Amino acid sequence: MLTFTWRSLVQRVRRLWRSSLQLRTVAITVLLSTVAVTIISGYMSISIATNLYEARKNQALAEARQATVSVQELFDSSVSANGTIDVEAVNRTAQTRIRSVASSPGGTEFAILRTPGQTTEVTMTPGRTRNLDESVISDELKEKVGQDDGQLYTQAVTLGASTGRPDPGLVVGGVFEVPTAGQYELYLVYNVRDVQQTLDFVQQTLVIGSLLLVGTIGLVTYFVTRLTIGPVRIAAETAEKLAEGELDRRIPERGEDIIATLARSFNRMADSLQRQITQLAALSRVQQRFVSDVSHELRTPLTTIRLAGDVLYEQRDQFSPTTARTAELLHAQVDRFESMLADLLEMSRYDAGAVDIDAEPTNLVRLVEESLDAIRPLADEKGSELRLVAPGGYFEADVDARRIRRILQNLLGNAVDHGEGRPIVVHVDSDATAVAIAVRDYGVGMDAAQLERVFDRFWRADPSRQRTTGGTGLGLAIATEDAQLHGGSLDVWSQPGEGSCFRLTLPRERGTTVHHSPVDLPPAEPLDTVDGGEGDG
Amino acid sequence: MTARILVVDDDTAIAEMVGIVLRGEGFDPHFSFDGPAAIEAFASVKPDLVLLDLMLPGMDGIEVCTRIRETSGTPIIMLTAKSDSTDVVRGLESGADDYVVKPFNPKELVARIRTRLRPAAQSTVERLPIGDLVIDVTGHEVTRDGVPIALTPLEFDLLLALAMKPNQVFTREMLLEQVWGYQYKADTRLVNVHVQRLRAKVELDADNPRIVMTVRGVGYRAGTAR
Repeated sequence: MLTFTWRSLVQRVRRLWRSSLQLRTVAITVLLSTVAVTIISGYMSISIATNLYEARKNQALAEARQATVSVQELFDSSVSANGTIDVEAVNRTAQTRIRSVASSPGGTEFAILRTPGQTTEVTMTPGRTRNLDESVISDELKEKVGQDDGQLYTQAVTLGASTGRPDPGLVVGGVFEVPTAGQYELYLVYNVRDVQQTLDFVQQTLVIGSLLLVGTIGLVTYFVTRLTIGPVRIAAETAEKLAEGELDRRIPERGEDIIATLARSFNRMADSLQRQITQLAALSRVQQRFVSDVSHELRTPLTTIRLAGDVLYEQRDQFSPTTARTAELLHAQVDRFESMLADLLEMSRYDAGAVDIDAEPTNLVRLVEESLDAIRPLADEKGSELRLVAPGGYFEADVDARRIRRILQNLLGNAVDHGEGRPIVVHVDSDATAVAIAVRDYGVGMDAAQLERVFDRFWRADPSRQRTTGGTGLGLAIATEDAQLHGGSLDVWSQPGEGSCFRLTLPRERGTTVHHSPVDLPPAEPLDTVDGGEGDG
Repeated sequence: MTARILVVDDDTAIAEMVGIVLRGEGFDPHFSFDGPAAIEAFASVKPDLVLLDLMLPGMDGIEVCTRIRETSGTPIIMLTAKSDSTDVVRGLESGADDYVVKPFNPKELVARIRTRLRPAAQSTVERLPIGDLVIDVTGHEVTRDGVPIALTPLEFDLLLALAMKPNQVFTREMLLEQVWGYQYKADTRLVNVHVQRLRAKVELDADNPRIVMTVRGVGYRAGTAR
């Protein structure tokens, strides 16, 4: 559960990231300026710290030098004329003087230590201030100082580490010579808490300043992007609405800037689109109107002709042979004229986009069986055996039975016409999303050039070929439109001399489209051919 | 008895030709060439069946159909130039029993007319229950709790077909064959529209039918007798 919500949160953020240009711009700007500000303030912080520390160190060194020199002078001047010295007395004076010299803020401690490894007649008591923790004076420092090269040595240390409130400190060590008592080392220990405090304050200021700066940059970016992306967003929304068909939508045009130019050109484009679409819609209406008018106007006289022709045809036995034959020809050609008119009207209905389908759950195997029964007399005449291969499965599909039947009649009619009297096999199969019907004949077949044109209007494979189904040359074009209307497709396979196979693939559910087919093209040769013969007629 | 047929079509050639065909088949055709004349002729001729063109000057076929249905259940067959259009559905919804698409052939027309004029299916029983209705087969009357419900002959045939085999689920194709007399595939909208019209008359709640039940994906069956 937790991982689920976590994942959904991540997904939501990701989606927001992808969808919001503004968010991306602001985020990237904030990120980059954070990096830049961090580098700058880091540099400033380090450089200030170094300077502060150096200054303090130089001050300490100066003090220490003064103290060392002063102590040395004191000892040197305290030697009496006979060369004796009250070492301890001078020592006390020296300590007082050191205190007076070394009076920096934060308190200064000091220690006077005897350089180890000396043998002298007198030794002076080492001294130190009370608060000094002598352990801060490291052995390395003592060693360096003890070399007596006249230099002062410094070392950064931590003071009061044991008290829980550690302070940064600085130890400066130098040497001086006590007459009769040998070399002593003077260590001054400075507490540099004040420097650290200053530094802390500076860093704090820097951090707060940086945060404010980044925040400001973010805010500014937000407003600037809003200013620039806002109109783009409006443009995008308007384009979306236009695409959805709200042709009156326009972008408000304000000012003279690039955005206003965008708005103006967009609106001009929309105007032109609207004009053309309106024009097309008007044309389409005219077309539909025309179709409807032609339909009525042509069919009315045709109805009379048809009735008259049929009445004459029924009575042809009573006519002379010539008149009887005339009646027959009239009858047949009126039939042909009628089916051509019907096909033409159907085609122009498709062209006008004035078709809708009347879908209901239909058993396609039953539909195929009925179509096979309908074509059987013709097939028998040609000597073609009709077979049905239906391996079973989900055969129901949401289709317009009338249109599918029309497709089947067309495909079967073609198969019979071009089947050379060889068997015609109809395969029906389906899967969870699609249903396919393949009509396979083993007749003359088509070559590549013919295949290319097979779905063209008014095209016939072989004009000299005698047709029994009275085709108009529009059958396959209409079949293709019908298939596409269902969201399906009509494909063809053919080899000269091996026959042809037309495969109709339909989605099982209305409103979906299929991109695969449950039946191969051409279908595999059936193992268990179901004889769709006389039994189910 | 010679059946009187009122032919309503504004195209005189078609009307005359249809008349020739009908006389040849032994019917007695009468003609009207526009809507208002058709209404008058219907009242004076009292035809047994009306052949009605949908596109008429003055008053269109749909309206003529509606006006006739207000007073009579006389079978009406539409003559239409368009099979796909919504006009067919509108015509059926306004009460036409069947339709023939122009151009039609004489046999087809005569077959449609004969189906509509033939007596209803013969039943061995006189009274049949369907849902909470009772069908008086010989009296051609349907009653609920003794109150008669006015049905057109076609609606009566449709209800009777369902009631005679209460356990059978009828596909639309079966009903087209039994009630409309189609031997081959026909427009299932005929069934859909007339079931709707029938339901509007016999169901207490048309959204929740109890008399003519829908069997999804198959067709219809009779509601259980009470």
